[in-house]
Amino acid sequence: MNRVLLLALGLFCAASELCAQSDPPDVPILSGALAFQGSTTAGATSFQPIIVPVLVAPFGDHWLVESRGEIEGFIARQDGTSGPYSGQFFASLDYLQLDYIANPHLTVTVGRFLTPFNIYNERFPLWVANLEDTPIIYTIGTRPSGSSNGGMVRGDAIARPGWIWNYTAYFSVLTTTENLQSGRSAGGRTGVFLPKAGLEVGVSYQRFLQNGDFNSSGAYLAWQPPQIPLDVRGEYAHSPGGQGYWLEGAYRLASSRSTTNWLSRLQAVARVQQYFKRQPTPEDALPSADVNQFDFGLNYYLPHEIRLNGSYGRQYSSAGNANIWNFEIVYRFLFPAWPGGR
Amino acid sequence: MKGLVITVLGILVFVCSLKVLALPQTSAQGTKAAKAVPEKKIDEAKEGERRFQENCGRCHNPPESISPREVKAVLQHMRVRAMLSAEDERLILKYLAP
Repeated sequence: MNRVLLLALGLFCAASELCAQSDPPDVPILSGALAFQGSTTAGATSFQPIIVPVLVAPFGDHWLVESRGEIEGFIARQDGTSGPYSGQFFASLDYLQLDYIANPHLTVTVGRFLTPFNIYNERFPLWVANLEDTPIIYTIGTRPSGSSNGGMVRGDAIARPGWIWNYTAYFSVLTTTENLQSGRSAGGRTGVFLPKAGLEVGVSYQRFLQNGDFNSSGAYLAWQPPQIPLDVRGEYAHSPGGQGYWLEGAYRLASSRSTTNWLSRLQAVARVQQYFKRQPTPEDALPSADVNQFDFGLNYYLPHEIRLNGSYGRQYSSAGNANIWNFEIVYRFLFPAWPGGR
Repeated sequence: MKGLVITVLGILVFVCSLKVLALPQTSAQGTKAAKAVPEKKIDEAKEGERRFQENCGRCHNPPESISPREVKAVLQHMRVRAMLSAEDERLILKYLAP
């Protein structure tokens, strides 16, 4: 088995060397983020050091191998609010996929990929997300791990100067291997993007084909008015286990998107969420009661791809109200994964 | 498991062979691009910036620095993630690595 892996690595290196001869060069890159998060929820404090490496290796103009892993620590007091701190570390593989970019209308993907339900799971890794906590409804349509093992097609079905209609469809098999979990499911997402207005709206659907087959559906909105440094994002999701929505606005303190000064590096964020419990379903990881929550946060974008984030949230639930304080520092890195300088 | 490993290896070998066949064509395209007039390059860089703001800027800021060696992998990654068109990729490449 080790010999097979060595052979695969050798072939990968040989491919990279060959591809490095073209113009522009097919140099693999290592990207991702280092982060340190601190959180106090209802008086219980925890810390999370995280590293998220992303490896991208193009092979010519049509083939691409992409991978993202996550190594995360969780350090907290042994009994929540008192006792000594102890830590655990976890590792997971978010995606390892081979893409064939056939044309602007079709990309075929096989392997392990992020489940394309609504937009949060695919588009907002921790270095992009404006707030540290994932939305309450995040697991609807993405259970059990946020990733799927199988095949996917995606692309722009129709692209016109004034509007673009995109689509994604996939199937996934059941995998129970540790750190590689996925559910047996099929689904898709489609949306329309209006570039001049900076507006995208779309819908998602998933048929979960295990644990008594059930449907999840959703809708999303993303709006960035071109002349104002405002980002509005939101999702609605529905499943037999519950339904809810989140809506977030983030405003850069700048007169326009192109302004760059110290104040323009500051971003104010607000998010409101509502969740309504229905019948519990296996592995849904959803709250056991209705929840209303709002969050306010500030992001500061330092030079050298470093971002600071602090936020306060208040959660109202019949299971108990709670204050949620979060702090995060994220460093985004990017460099070639092959010798030869930058 | 063995079947999966053999399949992955087969795909890698196939990719390598495709790349070897594609090299001369890629070089020819590069020669054509080198003959483009400077004004056109400037226009394309501006259009690339506009397309960056329109597509990539929806989620993140432009990178503070990115080298020509890195830019192709980044753009292909985003072509899949953000469903950029081939024309978007070409123009954004002009903007990020003129």
